Amino acid sequence: MKDELLKKLSACVEFGKTNKAALYPPQMKGEDGADEITSQLLDEGVGAQEILTGGLMPGMEKVGIKFRENKIFVPQVLMSAKAMGMSMVHLKPFFISGAAKQKGTFIIGTVQGDLHDIGKNLVAMMVEGSGYKVIDLGTDCLAEKYIAAIKENPGAAVGLSALLTTTMVNMEQITKDIKAVFPETLVTIGGAPVNDDFCLKIGADNYSADPQGVVDFLNTKIA
Amino acid sequence: MKVEFTYQFEELAIDMDRLRKGLGYSEEPIPELFIDYLKKVKEDCRELTDICGAFRICEELQFADNKRSFFADGAEFKVGRTIAQKLRKADKMAFFVCTAGKTISEKASSLLKGEDPVFGYVYDIMGSAIAEAVADEVQHHIEQQMLPLGAKITNRYSPGYCHWNVSDQHKLFSLFDENPCGVSLTESALMNPVKSVSGVIGIGQDVEFQDYQCSLCAMKDCVYRSDE
Ligand code: B12
Repeated sequence: MKDELLKKLSACVEFGKTNKAALYPPQMKGEDGADEITSQLLDEGVGAQEILTGGLMPGMEKVGIKFRENKIFVPQVLMSAKAMGMSMVHLKPFFISGAAKQKGTFIIGTVQGDLHDIGKNLVAMMVEGSGYKVIDLGTDCLAEKYIAAIKENPGAAVGLSALLTTTMVNMEQITKDIKAVFPETLVTIGGAPVNDDFCLKIGADNYSADPQGVVDFLNTKIA
Repeated sequence: MKVEFTYQFEELAIDMDRLRKGLGYSEEPIPELFIDYLKKVKEDCRELTDICGAFRICEELQFADNKRSFFADGAEFKVGRTIAQKLRKADKMAFFVCTAGKTISEKASSLLKGEDPVFGYVYDIMGSAIAEAVADEVQHHIEQQMLPLGAKITNRYSPGYCHWNVSDQHKLFSLFDENPCGVSLTESALMNPVKSVSGVIGIGQDVEFQDYQCSLCAMKDCVYRSDE
């Protein structure tokens, strides 16, 4: 029963089935969604930890890989994130009380001078679905904002996003400022104009072209 | 000469193919849910009153010897070799700024952040499509205006593409005495509202228009790419 439900939950995340009433995806019409299945799992006595690692994470991993391979696109990823969010509502109290633990903390924000946020939001959603606590600082973030967040969350990794070459340059100063206060903090960068060479040049720790790349990076470095 | 037009959503030729690609369904059928969202967004867009396009034609032109830049009204535009070559035969330049407006830009971003990100995303790609469609209209308008004068136009080129640095937008905006279409520029050369595009079109008897031109761009796996 438990395994069956976890499998179903994972499929809800993979295909973006939020709750029973949802008409999307068409092939799952009328079936229970992430909302109902999470309640059922908790009723069965399955822990939040296991629901996260055995249900949500495998689903989100499939989403990340399919997105990377251009098999699904942004709207489907957002549907998956919505399904995951439905489940997380039930699980959050356990993470807050400490009864269940996430793998680590990830702080993300779009850098100073830049207002783009879809890319950053996608990264945030997938990292959360991969078992991390995510703190989203929003757009147009100064170095101080990242630093304050790291102070509150020791050991967290930081993600910087930018969509224009004119704002990408701010990543360099922000990375330097962060490293000056917290030399050990891992900084990972991304966005359309960014690449590996730039990452190396500014002294950041990682560049990923897509959200799954950050997840892989975090899994090897902080999990 | 500066010209500014506002547009109704219905007047614009929205590229449905682009919308489909943005939603991720270039071949397969779009799921019902997304079709409903699209319908709703289209309906809402009829209410928009701040879709706008502005252009200014500069006649005082000079090309630099380095073949990478030109001067218009005294400002140097470092467009890079590829774009400079395309514009070289122009004897006038039309600089433009087009926007889908504040309303849709803000609606998209607030939905994306909050209640319904998927709906927000549909707004978002519609906002992009509107901005491009306005640029199509402006381009068409300029073309028609030049026809009786025996002049043709080039494609449009934008700062941020093809070795032309985004920061040149500051010079482009300085050619307009006040914020064109209410679009302002941040220090980092970002246009506000977000759903805006800017650029230049060459005008002259010997210039050429080419079918577009993804091959000029380095973003090989862009979802909108259309040259494969
Ligand atoms: C749609 C689009 C537009 C639309 C909408 C803009 C908007 N953001 O709302 C319109 C038509 C209005 C537009 C306008 C312009 N655009 Co534009 N646009 C795009 C396009 C095609 C897609 C952007 C997008 O929404 N992508 C979808 C999201 C989900 O992807 P993403 O944000 O990149 O995020 C992904 C990754 O980058 C990564 N990621 C993002 N953040 C992070 C962070 C971390 C830590 C990690 C690991 C990963 C990561 O993961 C995300 C998911 O995969 C891109 C090209 C492209 N294919 O990317 C150009 C692009 C962003 N635009 C560009 C430019 C130049 C402009 C203009 C300046 C052109 C002009 N002069 O008019 C204007 C500027 C607008 C402004 N307000 O100032 C350039 C920017 C590069 C540069 N030279 O600076 C690009 C890259 C195109 C190019 N070929 O060069 N644009």
